[in-house]
Amino acid sequence: GQSSGDGERAAGRGGCPGRCRCEVDGLLHRVDCSDLGLREVPGNLSVFTSYLDLSMNNLTVMSGGALSNLHFLEELRLAGNDLSFIPRGAFAGLYNLKVLMLQNNQLRSVPAEAFNNLHNLQSLRLDANHISSVPVGCFSGLRSLRHLWLDDNSLTEVPVEALSELPALQAMTLALNHIGHVPDHAFSRLGRLVVLHLNNNRIVSMGTSCFHGLHSLETLDLNYNSLVEFPTAIRSLSHLKELGFHSNNIQSIPEHAFTGNPSLITIFFYDNPIQSVGRSAFQNLPELRTLSLNGAADLTEFPDLTGTRSLESLTITGARITSLPGSVCEQLPNLQLLDLSYNQIQTLPSFSACESIQKIDLHHNEIEDVEENTFAGLMSLRSLDLSWNRLTSVKPNSFSALPALNKLDLSSNQLSSLPLIGLQSLTHLRLAGNDQLMELIPREELPRVRVMELPFAFQCCAFVSCDRRGGAPSWERDEAESAGRDAAAGFSSQVDQDWEDFLMEFEDEPKPQHSVHCSPTPGPFRPCLHLLGS
Amino acid sequence: SERPTLRAVIKVTLLKHEPTGKPIVLEGVFVGGSAGKAEGKLMQYHPLSLCNTSEDERQESDFITIVKLEHRVPRCKALHDKARMALDKGAQAVIFDVSDDANAAAELREIDSLPRPVVLVEAEDAEELMGLVNKNEEAKVVIEIKMEPKWPHYD
Amino acid sequence: TEGPPACPKGCDRCSEYNGCIKCKPKLFIFLERNDIRQIGVCLASCPMGYFGMRNPEGNNRCTQCKIDNCEACFNRNFCTKCKDGLYSHSGRCYVSCPPGQRTANETMEC
Repeated sequence: GQSSGDGERAAGRGGCPGRCRCEVDGLLHRVDCSDLGLREVPGNLSVFTSYLDLSMNNLTVMSGGALSNLHFLEELRLAGNDLSFIPRGAFAGLYNLKVLMLQNNQLRSVPAEAFNNLHNLQSLRLDANHISSVPVGCFSGLRSLRHLWLDDNSLTEVPVEALSELPALQAMTLALNHIGHVPDHAFSRLGRLVVLHLNNNRIVSMGTSCFHGLHSLETLDLNYNSLVEFPTAIRSLSHLKELGFHSNNIQSIPEHAFTGNPSLITIFFYDNPIQSVGRSAFQNLPELRTLSLNGAADLTEFPDLTGTRSLESLTITGARITSLPGSVCEQLPNLQLLDLSYNQIQTLPSFSACESIQKIDLHHNEIEDVEENTFAGLMSLRSLDLSWNRLTSVKPNSFSALPALNKLDLSSNQLSSLPLIGLQSLTHLRLAGNDQLMELIPREELPRVRVMELPFAFQCCAFVSCDRRGGAPSWERDEAESAGRDAAAGFSSQVDQDWEDFLMEFEDEPKPQHSVHCSPTPGPFRPCLHLLGS
Repeated sequence: SERPTLRAVIKVTLLKHEPTGKPIVLEGVFVGGSAGKAEGKLMQYHPLSLCNTSEDERQESDFITIVKLEHRVPRCKALHDKARMALDKGAQAVIFDVSDDANAAAELREIDSLPRPVVLVEAEDAEELMGLVNKNEEAKVVIEIKMEPKWPHYD
Repeated sequence: TEGPPACPKGCDRCSEYNGCIKCKPKLFIFLERNDIRQIGVCLASCPMGYFGMRNPEGNNRCTQCKIDNCEACFNRNFCTKCKDGLYSHSGRCYVSCPPGQRTANETMEC
């Protein structure tokens, strides 16, 4: 590759090495020598260089003092090279260096002394190397370091001693390594750490005091590890806002699990084989917005959510809850989404006090009745799924006061009739699987419907305009006349007329443009006339 | 039950040409119950951009998304979730070029309850449309239901 | 098109319309918007306003920062460089420091 040797031309251009791209910003120079196949650091850099990008080259060594006169350098990018060793003094003289990027190189160890005394360094990227050791003292002198990337390396343990020399650290990632255990007091000197990523490691166990000293921590990411026990060590994290431990092997969430974390806003713990949940586990979390729990087969009682009033989305599926407390809406006044599908709920309380609720999923339960007040007055409810229950009847006014409801799924129940009062805003209606429901549904009762799944084909005829002309549905007449005729040519003018009318409806601007998709689609073997059994 | 597939007429008008520029008329197939009319500026999305909700690159004006699907792109979401995500980003409609992803067409045909039109294009129609995208030509797209004999012959 | 020669630097798999669809290991794919086109490019570090999200499958991506007035971030919610004139505190950017916080003008922090 072309080395940076042709200095004459470069020197003529005020310290911009050959083929590099330079900008002058007042006194300071921004130099971009990335992606030039360089094998060594260009020699003739202006002393006023404040930004130097040497990434994506073929640098294999950083000779000592190569940059020592760049006292104004603030950002040095060396990502995507082949550096496997950085000697002491490589960064000597860089008194003002704030950002140092060494990601995507071949380092097997954090340089033992190269970073010492970079007193103003704030961001250090060491991600995507092959680092398996972090020598004690390697970070000594980095009193201003705030952000440290060590992810995507080969660490097998938390570098406790080395980290203890970073009093100003605010954000660190040790993700995508091979760490198996987090010892007690692993981060005890990191009192200003706000963000800690430990995801995608092999963490099996954690000391109960391993997070001791992390007084400022707000985000803790333990996702994609091998934890078997709930991380009780989080108890000391009083400022924690976001916690993730999804995709682990945790089987139970204990009572009072989060009592030490009153500021929690989000908790992600899906993809864990959670069987049991302490009834008080999610109490007193006034900032929690979302709670999602799937497959906790041992959970038979609805959790006590006292003091967790900001919940907007609650999902508990695949458990064995049989009933809900009558005060569920008083406890959760801000609820917008409730998903309790795949439980064993038999009776429903009134949800009227859940004034902000928009979506209720109760499919795959054992609900038998819907009372007049069950969903009364839910002005924001858009979607209600009661499919796969044991509904035999619905009271006349059960859905009458739901102005925003556009999706209603009552399929696979035992209904024989459906009161249509209040369903004018429906766009999606599913009733399939109610084999006793044979009544016709007048089209004018559902002016906005677009997708329908009904028990019988004849019930679709009113919605797929097959008999709007009063005569026998056009496709049935066609079927009689057209035995053996070529499909493309032979439609009667009557069909074209129907088609014109159908499209005319689309041309009428203010009216919503929609075609109604109704199934089972009427056809030759599922005629529009209601024949016994069809 | 086999839902009748409605065909789409796609009229493309280049905005940088004098107003008399005749629209390019192409065809596609509506997906699921999404047949309907839509109009907006053509905007390409990389298939990987429909992978998680964090890429909240919202466009201001009305736009119609076009995505060239490729079977070699690592699949991060089911295609109907991608369609929904594109619509959630504000697209008035989504056009999927399925020429290089044979399974996509089959997978996409079976979704319903899409709030706005989703259209599949392939072969010459797709090539012409992507040709415009490649030239970065600002274009307005109008999608309508194609008028053709209503009841396909039941044989 | 298969194979690196026809693909831009750092790209393992690309196509005429989508640009890069799979970057070389350790690099991040950035979905660059250029008027109506959006193509994939491969970078060692993500541009301003984005951070690099690595994952075990190697589908590393530049992901947008979600913090107001932030130029560079560590993750979606933690800013590492606020816009000029703003103060940073716990990864957020402030016109003036929150109550009870002392201002450090030399580092523009609270």
